[in-house]
Amino acid sequence: MPLDRKIAYIDLTTGDIQTKPIPLDVRKKFLGGRGLDAYLLYNHTEKGCDPLGPKNTLMVSGGILTATCASATARTQIMANSPLTGLLGSANMGGFFAPEMAWAGFHHLVIKGKAKHPVYIYIHNGEIEIRDARDIWGKPVTDAQWAIRDDLGDQEVKSCVCGPAGENLVRFANVMTGIKNSGGRSGMGCVMGSKNLKGVAVRGTMDIKIARPTEALEYNKRFIDQIVSAKVNQTQGVLGTPFIWGATNSWGGIRCRNFQYNQCEYADDIEPERIDEICEETMGPYHMTGCFGCQVHCRAQYKIPEGPYAGVYDEGPEYTSQGAFGGETDTPRAITVLTGNHLVDKFGMDNLETGSLISWAMELYELGIITSKETDGLDLRFGNDDAVIEMIERICYRKGWLGDALADGGIAASEKIGKHSFDYLIQVKGMSNLHSDERATPALALNIATGSRGSDHLRSRPAIDLYHLPEEVLRKIYGNPVSYDGPLSSEHTEYIGKPWQVFWQENCYMGVDCLGICKYHTTFLGATLPNFEDWSKVIYYNTGLEMTPEEIWEVARRCNMIERLFNLREGLTRDDLKKGDMLNHRYFDEPCRRGAIDVVGKMIDKKKFIKMIDEFYEHKGLDQKGVPKPETLEVLGLENEPSHLV
Amino acid sequence: MTVEKEGLSTAESLRKARTYGKFRCHNPTCMERIQPEKGKKTAKCPTCGMEYRVHWVNPNLPRIRGPVWDVNRKLAEAKLKEMGVK
Repeated sequence: MPLDRKIAYIDLTTGDIQTKPIPLDVRKKFLGGRGLDAYLLYNHTEKGCDPLGPKNTLMVSGGILTATCASATARTQIMANSPLTGLLGSANMGGFFAPEMAWAGFHHLVIKGKAKHPVYIYIHNGEIEIRDARDIWGKPVTDAQWAIRDDLGDQEVKSCVCGPAGENLVRFANVMTGIKNSGGRSGMGCVMGSKNLKGVAVRGTMDIKIARPTEALEYNKRFIDQIVSAKVNQTQGVLGTPFIWGATNSWGGIRCRNFQYNQCEYADDIEPERIDEICEETMGPYHMTGCFGCQVHCRAQYKIPEGPYAGVYDEGPEYTSQGAFGGETDTPRAITVLTGNHLVDKFGMDNLETGSLISWAMELYELGIITSKETDGLDLRFGNDDAVIEMIERICYRKGWLGDALADGGIAASEKIGKHSFDYLIQVKGMSNLHSDERATPALALNIATGSRGSDHLRSRPAIDLYHLPEEVLRKIYGNPVSYDGPLSSEHTEYIGKPWQVFWQENCYMGVDCLGICKYHTTFLGATLPNFEDWSKVIYYNTGLEMTPEEIWEVARRCNMIERLFNLREGLTRDDLKKGDMLNHRYFDEPCRRGAIDVVGKMIDKKKFIKMIDEFYEHKGLDQKGVPKPETLEVLGLENEPSHLV
Repeated sequence: MTVEKEGLSTAESLRKARTYGKFRCHNPTCMERIQPEKGKKTAKCPTCGMEYRVHWVNPNLPRIRGPVWDVNRKLAEAKLKEMGVK
């Protein structure tokens, strides 16, 4: 049964390993994946623990449906106190790792301590050992995974590792699996590096007994049909996620030149269709691939067509790399995007954070806030492709003054640079915004301001708000599984009803992260994709656990509240520009200058924005300071946290 | 609890609302549905005048590849001037 997968507690300092079952009442409260990780983080870390110290706890997990007959249960969750933000650190990646871990007997790992020398953890059919990784330390992401396979003499082993960026304690280093699957944002690879932990390897052949296999398979056919028939997924299967950047740039919703413009003009060379052509030219017509159990196949494969890395194989680029190394830095050339994407994959470093910080430094350079003294002679003007590529390597290896400063993240770098540099840093809670510009889309602005791991599109973004859906359709989506009869608006430049949409999406994304399913299989980019009602059936057929859609909603609310409790404990305050739910002043002061006619001139109305936050807090059951009301904690069963149930 | 084994979920019932062969204008207060002629590489919004380059994902699925840069840039510049934004 999926429910018999265990939890393992691993202390790298002492070598102590304990395995325990996950009690059913814990499952019912937190399901698994990110939700249960949040509970474990809150219960197993002390207030104010050093994110790079041995007391920080690193969670690695799959969802409750991982490796079952449900579709696209590939996602691996990673969580810890973030060395980038000092708040919730959380990452999520595709690939094949989490299913293999489930077949090896485990859904959750809780890793504490610090090894005396580099090690990796090996999990095999219920057994766990800590192995020497001194010969693997220093290797890039893919090489490290092959070295682990060679060490174990098993080419089927799956592993997640940190790359050189994690070893060098770059505060936004990723945990990676495969070529490019990235547990990105918030520096979980840095936590791994700080523990002398190169990676976790898994190999499993243990059965997972499906509760009602016939119904599970039959229902999954329905589920898959719903997913693959959606236009958005048909497009992703051809163009991959770059279509998202292309569509967003078309109307003026992306960041260009840090935050000076909201559209990268004449960007034809990095449009998804052009990237697709390069993939086809270098890999052939069948160049799309996918993660475990997924039918969408949104991941492109390519070889770098020219330049110093010509012929090197990689995957993607995702829309995030287009934004990071094309739009933000105003280098809209495919070679720069493909090379930049390859380097961050190789080093295990977050593409969004890297591109954002380079573009921030470029603006500071053009303003004279930093000079060639800080850049060690590098011409850091916008549009300099070579400088972008050079800075990626400098950050990973902490080369030069600026490379070392940026490796510590934006807020720490701004404190070193001084001279109002912080005013130009586009971040929330210490994590850089992705490549999008939300000045014309209040709902999306609210989403990034209140995201639990910092500025983030994957925690509560109502992306379907952009589709101008009729109000009756919005009501059907946002009025389930709990009723909502407040205002909703089809206009995405409006402020009306958006707090509810963000609240609903926050719970939807937490739900899907507890299940272990990819967000492209729920109400993220497609309005007609499965959510709470559908999950109720999938959970029942696969695990036997009876949960109504309303109960799953309550689990999601509870798990989001645990994340909030963690952030509050670590210093989140509502209006703090460094640790709060607030946006950079440029959102309120500088109008959009490019894009569709009615995007031009748009900026966020601060009064209306603050009112949206008030309403959002109300929906969540928080007071006006953003702190949970006692009755909210009681309703969610969190009044006695930390409760140490597991 | 009762797990409903038959019947459509909300997501499934909304499937009939999907439209094919069309896309919406990217101008937020326009959002007119545009139906490009099959195989055509550009389309103009009949309501607001914005022009788009079109990519056909498959013969029935057009998407906006991007703006016709020169046309839409002029429209944006005119709007900026009208608003007095420097």
